[in-house]
Amino acid sequence: MKLLLVEDEPFLLDEMETYLTEQGYRCEKATTFEEGQEKLHLYEYDLVVLDITLPGGNGLHLLQILKSEHKNSGVLIVSAKNSLRDKVDGLQMGADDYITKPFHMEELNARIFALLRRRSFEGENEIRFDQLVINLTAKTVVYGNEPILLTKKEYELLLYFIVNKNRVVSRQSIAEHLWGDHYDMADNYDTVYVHTKNLRKKLAYHMNVDYIKTIHGMGYKWASA
Amino acid sequence: MKLLYKTTRDYLIASISILVITGIALFTLLRKEVGDEMNEQLALQADKIFENAHSGNFINAPFIKIEKVSGRTSPGQTYGDSLLYDRVQKKMEEYHYIREVQDIGQDRYQATVMTSHIGWDQYYLSIFYIFVLMAILLTGSGVLINYLSNRKVWGPFFGNLKKIKAFSVSSPDSLGLLETPITEFKELNSTLKDLTDRSRKEYLALREFTENASHEIQTPLSIIQSKLDRMSQMEMNEEMSDYIVQAKSGVERLSKMNKSLLLLAKLDNNVFKDQEQVMVDEIVFTQLRNMEDLWANKQITLKENLRKESVFCNKYLIETLVSNLLSNALKYTLKNGMVEVIVKGNSLMISNTGTKPEFSEEQIFQRFTKNATNITSTGLGLAICKEICTLNKWDLAYHYENGIHFFQVTFPVK
Repeated sequence: MKLLLVEDEPFLLDEMETYLTEQGYRCEKATTFEEGQEKLHLYEYDLVVLDITLPGGNGLHLLQILKSEHKNSGVLIVSAKNSLRDKVDGLQMGADDYITKPFHMEELNARIFALLRRRSFEGENEIRFDQLVINLTAKTVVYGNEPILLTKKEYELLLYFIVNKNRVVSRQSIAEHLWGDHYDMADNYDTVYVHTKNLRKKLAYHMNVDYIKTIHGMGYKWASA
Repeated sequence: MKLLYKTTRDYLIASISILVITGIALFTLLRKEVGDEMNEQLALQADKIFENAHSGNFINAPFIKIEKVSGRTSPGQTYGDSLLYDRVQKKMEEYHYIREVQDIGQDRYQATVMTSHIGWDQYYLSIFYIFVLMAILLTGSGVLINYLSNRKVWGPFFGNLKKIKAFSVSSPDSLGLLETPITEFKELNSTLKDLTDRSRKEYLALREFTENASHEIQTPLSIIQSKLDRMSQMEMNEEMSDYIVQAKSGVERLSKMNKSLLLLAKLDNNVFKDQEQVMVDEIVFTQLRNMEDLWANKQITLKENLRKESVFCNKYLIETLVSNLLSNALKYTLKNGMVEVIVKGNSLMISNTGTKPEFSEEQIFQRFTKNATNITSTGLGLAICKEICTLNKWDLAYHYENGIHFFQVTFPVK
């Protein structure tokens, strides 16, 4: 999977590139409007992560150019402006998703994962880990032949862990993922703890390895190795 | 005291005092003039009588009398008043007379000439009536003129006053003042226009600044957050990880606060113009379901009574309103408490058990109001609710009674 990251803030771009490369994507970078325009013109990408405020022009304009060239890339807009107008405009112009700064890398990764899955897999849409099979369409989890019954939140949590495997995922990041960030309620760490505990219990019933590691104070990590 | 009352009252007091003084002056002057004139006439008549008497012609006519008196009567003129019976009118009338004593030859004569004058009481009364009439006419016309000019001259003034009262720098309508022909009011209007334009300009600049500042803060916050996340991936000892966790919680608070401030700035800037018919009960239902695990984790009993209720507004704003009220209920309900959500009859009511707030009921919607014990709260959630309601002209009320917090949003009746 080939990604183009258009972002004018070098530190953030660097962070995005590092993490997404770790996740197995091939990433290219553009820091200005012109650079982005040139790369979009020359190459094909599966997905473009697009910042709206760019030196040299508006990211939405870049989106327009991309769509006018009939490129079949997914587009994820990143914006510092939590502006509804931009969001509505962006989605109407063909963007697939919208994420507001500041965001957690895991959230960005989960969005990219979901977006690429939606676009490139039709019908069967499963991910596997060990003998664990997660059906993304039916939202079911099966271990071997035995179904594991998870609540909606536990399912989302499991998926979030697996998509961000081998990374310490903070409780803040999980809370925002589960309850949305426009809630003034992302400080529900107790409930994150309870969900994680229950998920572990349910998985442990079927699997003999506990992949979920508690990292002191920090959060949790799905350790595959 | 209204200006009209004040001016009318002053005008009345002044005109009544002037009328009293002039009335007394008029009466005294008149009395003196008439008296003098009468005396002159009487003196002339007496003079004529003696002139005739010297030539041996003693005239005796009604009210004119000349008679011999004893030598002891001193010569000279005296004036006086006396009462005589008027046969025609059948009542006593007041008369003014002159008595003059002169010597004619060896004898001493006294001439008396009388003339009637209207009783001074009559003068008093007549003048009094005239002045009362004048007073009534003057004050009446004064009040009438004031009243009419109040409507005509003051009309635009009161109209403008009403507009100024309704004016807010945050509202997009400019202050359209009514034209007036009065110079002073014109001056007032132009000064007011200047003032409001200037305040609006400054307000807009401040508003823009707040929004821009909040935007600019987002990117550095993103960098800090992502780098802290990166550091969390590394092998480290417990001490370091504690520091990182603390730094992260600070960043998180800052980020939440900034998002809230940005939302408030946007509410002020009135950027949420897209409106649609929204089902309140559905929004509440969806959010309650999304929070199911959060209620359960605190063993909170949730009671719902959701009837169909729609309202015309911006969807994002009502979602924010509901989520802020619900998260507030979640935050301040103690374990094993109870939360009740009712949507019916143009209103949304959310009540929850909890301890008495440390501040007064009026303060609860003010920015940065929070319990001292709740340091991680931004103190902006309810301020945002209030702003959203104000913007949509909904009523948001709060009160605390018998250990229960009540929040009620009242939508306008359709």
